[in-house]
Amino acid sequence: MKIEKKKKAIVPLSQRERKRYILLEILNADVAEKDFYFGFWIELLSFFGSKGLAEINPRIVAYKENKAIIKCKRGKETELIAGTAFIDKIRNKKIIINPVITSGTIRTIKETAKVFVGKTALAEGEVKAEQEVKESGKKP
Amino acid sequence: MADIVYAQPLKELLQVGTYFKEKLILLVNGEINYQKAKQSEMIPCLVLSEKDDLNSIKGKRTAVIGGSIKANEFAVRIKADFLIQPSGTKQFFDLGLAQKLSDNGTTVVLMFEELMDANSFERHAIWKNYIEVVSHCKKKNTRFIVASGCKDPLHLRPRKVREALAVTLGLDTALAQKYLEELDELK
Repeated sequence: MKIEKKKKAIVPLSQRERKRYILLEILNADVAEKDFYFGFWIELLSFFGSKGLAEINPRIVAYKENKAIIKCKRGKETELIAGTAFIDKIRNKKIIINPVITSGTIRTIKETAKVFVGKTALAEGEVKAEQEVKESGKKP
Repeated sequence: MADIVYAQPLKELLQVGTYFKEKLILLVNGEINYQKAKQSEMIPCLVLSEKDDLNSIKGKRTAVIGGSIKANEFAVRIKADFLIQPSGTKQFFDLGLAQKLSDNGTTVVLMFEELMDANSFERHAIWKNYIEVVSHCKKKNTRFIVASGCKDPLHLRPRKVREALAVTLGLDTALAQKYLEELDELK
């Protein structure tokens, strides 16, 4: 008996939920990606609560050289920016988070930031993971 | 763009303020500090209480720290430019006060530092009270802004963030922008 793989249902572009991308700049201290991720979520969760945060649906798309691209639901970007005001410390390092630009496309943000031109931090991670899989496949 | 702060290490405040391209309005106590602040690039603003001599405040920018019925009334009486923190964990702001402040051209200010210093229970109460303050201000066309109000230069908040906070409290985006722009015109 053949097992047929079912294709994943792809939501058409026009029916997908609209998003907004925000470029955040972290000033005053060098913060590692993991630390930023942790600090960001803890503060937002304490301010908005789980329901509020679910409605905003923020995601860290990329992080490089103290700049982060955050994705959120359209119409909730103001709330997200307001929430970032409460992040004043990460790992006991005093920081200021400066929202540089808000855009509907990630391309505009990459062009503004210039850090993300080329492969994004996440994309690089994916490439590394693929390479590791290939290498492990080659070895007996 | 302008932000209201308390007088502390001026050099560092200026550095951060310049990075954010913001004018800083310094809250100072007493005539000596006022003159000192005037010499720097910042805009001085005299913080007054009921005990202060009111004869020497002519032609000076004034602010009153609220947080009680008496202090709020005092701000109305002297027609202060700024009423800072009209309510805290308890509500002292009503429609009548909003109307009087609107007539006097006083700006109501929420200091963000107050929110940061509060614990989660107090923060909830302050947030609730300021939502009410903003709704009263909207009804009576009273100016309302969110300022950093910090003593530490690293607690300065960029303009976009303060605008977003005002919008989250219930102010219209256009109004939040307009009120902050009006602060820029101060000299």
